[in-house]
This record gives sequence, structure tokens and C-alpha cells, in this order.
Amino acid sequence: MVLAWHTNIAARWLDPQQHDGTASPDNFLMALHDGLTKNFRDNKFDHSALAEAHEFASDSTSATFRLRRGIKFHDGSPVTPADVKWSYQHYRGAWGDVLNAKTEAIELTDDNTVVFHFKEPFPDFPILLGTANVCGAGWVVPARYYEQVGPQGFVQKPIGAGPYKLVSQEPGLKLEFEATEDYYRPVHIKHLTMVSVPEAATRVAMLERGEADIIYNVPGELIDRIKSNPKLMLAPVLSANFWLEFPGFQDAKNPFHDKRVRQAVSLAIDRKAMNEAECAGLGQIDGNWINDDVVYGIDWPQWPHDPAKAKQLLAEAGYPDGFNVDWVTPIPDYFSRGERTVSMLRKIGIRGKLQVMERGVFLKRLQSGLTAWQGVQIILNAARVGGTWSSWYDSYMKCGGFNGRDRNCVPELDAAFARYLAATELEQRRGLAEQIQREILENYYFVPVFRHAAMQAIGSRIAATKWQDVFPTVTTAYAYPWEDIELKA
Amino acid sequence: MGRFVIRRTLYAIVTLFILSLTIFTVIRLTGDPVTLLAEPGARAEDLDRIRAEWGLDQPLPVQYFSFLKNIATGELGKSFNYEMPVSTLYFQRLPNSLELAFAATLISFLIGIPAGLISAVKVNSAWDSAGKVIALFGLAVPGFWLGLVMILVFSVWLGWLPTSGQGGWQHLIMPAVALGWYFAASLLRLTRSSMLEVMRSEYIKLARLKGLPGYVVIALHAFKNALIPVLTLAGVNLVVMINAAVIIEVIFAWPGIGRLLYEGIFQRDFPLVQGVVMEAGIMIVVINLTIDILYAYIDPRIRLTT
Repeated sequence: MVLAWHTNIAARWLDPQQHDGTASPDNFLMALHDGLTKNFRDNKFDHSALAEAHEFASDSTSATFRLRRGIKFHDGSPVTPADVKWSYQHYRGAWGDVLNAKTEAIELTDDNTVVFHFKEPFPDFPILLGTANVCGAGWVVPARYYEQVGPQGFVQKPIGAGPYKLVSQEPGLKLEFEATEDYYRPVHIKHLTMVSVPEAATRVAMLERGEADIIYNVPGELIDRIKSNPKLMLAPVLSANFWLEFPGFQDAKNPFHDKRVRQAVSLAIDRKAMNEAECAGLGQIDGNWINDDVVYGIDWPQWPHDPAKAKQLLAEAGYPDGFNVDWVTPIPDYFSRGERTVSMLRKIGIRGKLQVMERGVFLKRLQSGLTAWQGVQIILNAARVGGTWSSWYDSYMKCGGFNGRDRNCVPELDAAFARYLAATELEQRRGLAEQIQREILENYYFVPVFRHAAMQAIGSRIAATKWQDVFPTVTTAYAYPWEDIELKA
Repeated sequence: MGRFVIRRTLYAIVTLFILSLTIFTVIRLTGDPVTLLAEPGARAEDLDRIRAEWGLDQPLPVQYFSFLKNIATGELGKSFNYEMPVSTLYFQRLPNSLELAFAATLISFLIGIPAGLISAVKVNSAWDSAGKVIALFGLAVPGFWLGLVMILVFSVWLGWLPTSGQGGWQHLIMPAVALGWYFAASLLRLTRSSMLEVMRSEYIKLARLKGLPGYVVIALHAFKNALIPVLTLAGVNLVVMINAAVIIEVIFAWPGIGRLLYEGIFQRDFPLVQGVVMEAGIMIVVINLTIDILYAYIDPRIRLTT
């Protein structure tokens, strides 16, 4: 089986110890490595993987994992509790500092049991540990080998406990895997190749010719070529959510300070048209800016499209002739979505210009806070964050959050969020989570646009009657579980 | 001759110094690579850790001198993205780029030189017009477009050739044609103009007056002399094809240096971009220096006038 990956393949994605907190490593970790618990099909984070059983204390102060008997790394050495402890303690990727700060001790109670003790209740622990696109601390590496070769040696010749072992790699270009014979689940396809093909048209051609069996990231202009070919299958996997932000709306001089103006923006957005044009209608028009497949993410009804009412609200807010926006900036590379937003806003009198940035510059400016977003601005932002709703709030909304900084600060919400973090009662946590999300939406602090579909495609050799057979999980946009995918006889 | 060589070598060193300073400065103007290394979702602490790990927390002059020291010792630093020495990556990809570049050069020779020759010999004829059209298309049709069309026609519709990647000779045909196409056009134009210039020279007239057959005049007297600037251009073209066939290598997923450069730029992998550009710069400067010295050796007037 050949997967045509859409960017070059970063070495760090082969090492769970270097997890960067994003979705990309997911694709590789799931083939090469395995976690104590993980997201698997409908299970968002607590599917038993290397641990055959796990228990989280009701007071959230400890977690116990019992390893499967007889599990081995690809070099034949057994997966031991000592490896689990080493992997956790030496983990230096995303969320590593939080785990380290909250963990009191790791106890190896017998030859296959590991107990994590926390300094205080740590209700998010199982979510962090078991969500492959958030954190890699629960993904077990062979301690002795890792110490022997070091991080750089490890990414050249990684050894894991996953369904596939790496047999060769051309750095950045190609990975060749072979099925692990003694994996605890059957692995159907014996050879798996992941090859980097940056050009989308080439990936589609590879699929059409049978040179690739699965391809990722089919752009809009090539969707029809897949749809019109009866041998191929389009897989519109729901992925990132898109929303509009109004940096500095807290300032009374900013037109977006008035809730009616923000509401007018929401009414101006034709979400159905956006979804049709950008994702062939295969995205999802939901009401929340947070994905509904994370813990405590709430459902929200679809927002109406009513330009006439939007104009009326603007007039009531003191802008009968509309106003100028310095820049409308979409997250790269979704520039056409930004253009559509500009066009929709122009119809109600909000006149903006599109600002295009290189992705790295955009991210840097996001992380620089309001100083980088002076004047009247709108950002079309997007994210796909796994785990829990709090990761979204913490990053994009909270005062001082990594991606939000001071752009979207609402101190009252932060106070509620602090209570949420301190709460140990599940019902109380759920209530606070829902309250905060509701307030964001009711006040139009963020204006949700739509949840786009990551366009993947499946070739004719794969045994699948529907695309969900290959992309069955709600927590990643990638093909998974690798061991379950089969070729036609 | 000795002074000429020393002077030219010093020019070459100054050129490389300016190149190193330029690439070091320009790439840093594009922003902080850590934001791409970590991607969104990572926290400030993760960024600080990565910054320290890669020496990006050091002042710029310290980073620059470290870069220069690495070049002097033949080490071009370590790629952020691959966590491998840049020189290792470069020399891993170099054979692939050489393979593609030589094939593309061969194609550009096979198309450009005969067509240029015929155009010049049959000047203002239908042959010449056909040559001009070929040259115009070669320069006007972008390689990426040609590459994509070839994939569609020869891979998808006809099923004759593989779409991409490296393997047998079949994998080489389309990228070599797409890459060599533009250079064929430039060679065609230069061959034509060079031939026309030579054909108008006195010694060619003398050869004709002596009653030599036309094909002897063209093949033995005119073509050999007209070829000198053509081969000089071909040498420079070859270096460009080796190091900067970015778009063609990306379209055909060819594992060469151009793609390595693309990946470096895309990931803002400073050491990788710096390393590839410096290697290409060194290659071009050294080839130019060698050609200058050879010219001066063959023609003493050059070392006296420069």
C-alpha cells in the first residue's frame, strides 16, 4: 500500500518524544508506535492499546495502567513498565512541562503495572495521554535504545511498538514499513510505503494510475476529477473549524466593540455558499467554533444568513453607511476563503481589503498579540485541536494564550475558565465549559464560519465500500488504524 | 598568469563572502523559524526550548560566525527539519540531481543545437521560422505547465510513463524533458546567433572562396567556433539545473537538491537553505573561476586586459 503524503516528511514526526502538539505526527505515530491508551475509532482518547487495562482514580489524583503480556518493540525487546516510565519522564514535546509539573511520582508496582501519582487532581491527564494529535508522552519508546542512539539517532532509525516497523527511509521523501508479525492485533497489509508528493495534481495522477492507494489533501479544483472516476473514492474528512476574530474589539473606539456589529458580520456570512464553493458542500456548517468531537465541545444551531437584518443592525449601531476595515486576513493558504469573506461583508457595507501572508509570518503575528493587529482588523482563523475544548480556549481565547495573546481577551471568561481548571467535579466542569462556550457564541466574540472537510482520496486497490472504512475516526483526518486497512483480494 | 589567478581567486572569495552574508541576512528577514518548527498548538515554553536547542537564542553575529566557521570546515550545519547534517543531505541528493541535470542537458543539446544550427544555416527560411517558434515556445511555456500536461497525457491517459518519483529510465523522461525544454530554447537561440555571427566572419568567407564544400565550412570551421559560447552557457545551465530545478523536482517528486531547497524554504529550515545556496554558489563560483583561468591560459589577451 502506498500513501502519497502532501508535504515533506519531518524527521521529528517519527519520534513521539518530540511531539509538536499538532495533527501531523498522528499519521506516523499510529503506524510506527503505540500508546498506553489512544484515540481509536469512536474512542476519543481512552482506547486500551499497549495497556490492556487502565483505571483513573475517581479523585483524579492517580492513574493505573496494566500492560499487555508479551508485547514487544520492533527489535524484539519487551515493552516494560520501565520503558513507560522513561518515556513519560523524558518526554520533552508539547504539554511536557504541564505533565511534569503535575506528576508527583511514577510507581512500578509489579512487572506489568505502572501507576502515575499526581500532586493535585489532574482530570485532563487521560485526555492528554491518549490523544495522539496533542501529546506524545503516553507513546512508549524503548528506553535503552533511545538512550543509546539519542534523539537524532532515533529519528534516523526509530524503533516502536506499533503495527509497522520502519525498514528504510529517505529523509523527508519516503518511508518503507513492514508489518510487525507479533503485534497484538492482525496487520492486514504487509508493506506500507509513505511517500512525499508535494504537488497535488501529481498525487491525483498517482491515484488514477494506481501508483498510490491513498492520497491526502485534494484541492478544490481537482475534486471533480476524483468524483468523476468510478474507481476512486473521495474521503471528505471533517477537520478544522474556521471562524472570524475581531482583534482588539475590547477597545470602545473599535467598531467591533458593539455586539450588534459583530452580529451583523455573522448575518452577512453565507456559510452554505462558502461550504459549496470551498469544499464542494462536503464540509459541515455547525454553530460552534470548537469542533464537536472534543470533550465538552457543545453543539450549537446553525447561524442565519440575513444581509438585510445585518444592515439594519449596523445602522442601529451608528454605521448606516457601513465602515472600512483595514485588513481581512485569512489563515494561509486559505486565501480564497478570505476573498469570499471580504465579498460577503462588502454587501452589508463593511469594506475590507484582503491581506495575504506566508504561513510562518501569519503564525508569528498571531503569537505577537494586538501589536501586530493594529487598527480595524478581521482574522479568518482556523484550527483542529484534539482532546478537550479547553485546549481551544486556552490557546485562542484566553488572555495570554499562546495563539490568542491579548487579541480576544475577556477577563470574565478567564475567571470562569480558572474555576473550570480548578474544578474536580465532572458536572461542575461540564457546566463551566458549556457556559464559557455559550457566552463566546452569544456575544459573537468569535463568529463561526464552517468546519471544512479535509479532502483525502482512496484508490481502487483498497478494500473499502465507503470512505469511512479507511477514515473511521473522529479525532484525526488521516487514514487509520493502519493495521485494519485491507487490499482487495 | 600567477597574479591573474590570485586576483580572480580573491574575487571569488569576496563573492562567496557577500553571498554568505546575503543569504544569512535575507533568510532571517522572513521571520522566526521556530513558529514553523513547533506549529500552532505548541506553547511558549516549547518554543523557547526549541530556540535554545538550535542556537537561535544567540545574537545574530554569533550565529553568523558560527555559520562561517562551519562553511570553512566543510560543515554546513544541521537541518532543523531532518536533524541531520546539511552536507549529508546535500550529497545524498546530489547524484539524483546530477542524473536529472545531465539527462535534461542532453535533451537541451539534442533539441537546441541542431535546431539552432539549421536555423542559422537556413536563415529566413521556413526552417528558421520553425526554429524561432520552437525557441519562443521553449521560453514562453513554463516547465511546470509542461510537466503537468505530460503527466496527464503520458501517465494518466496513455499510461506509458510513471507519474513521478525516481526509479528506472522511464521515471527520468518526463522531468528531463520538462527541465531541458527551457534550456533547449536558450541554446537554440544562442547557437543560431553565434553561428550567424561566425558565418559572417572573414575566415568563413575565405574558406568559401577557397572552394571548400558548404558542409565542411559549416562543420569544421563555423560550428566549432560558434560552439564556444554555447558550451559556456551549457555549463552554467548545468549548474542551475543541478541546484535549482525546484519546480520540476517538486512536480515530479524527484528527490533532488531543488526539492531539498524547496523543503528548506517551506519549513524555514535556515541551515538547509543556507547550505544549499552556499553549495550552489560555491559550485558556480568555482566553475566560473576555472573557466576564467582556462580562457586566460588559452588566450593571453584576456589576462592582460582584465
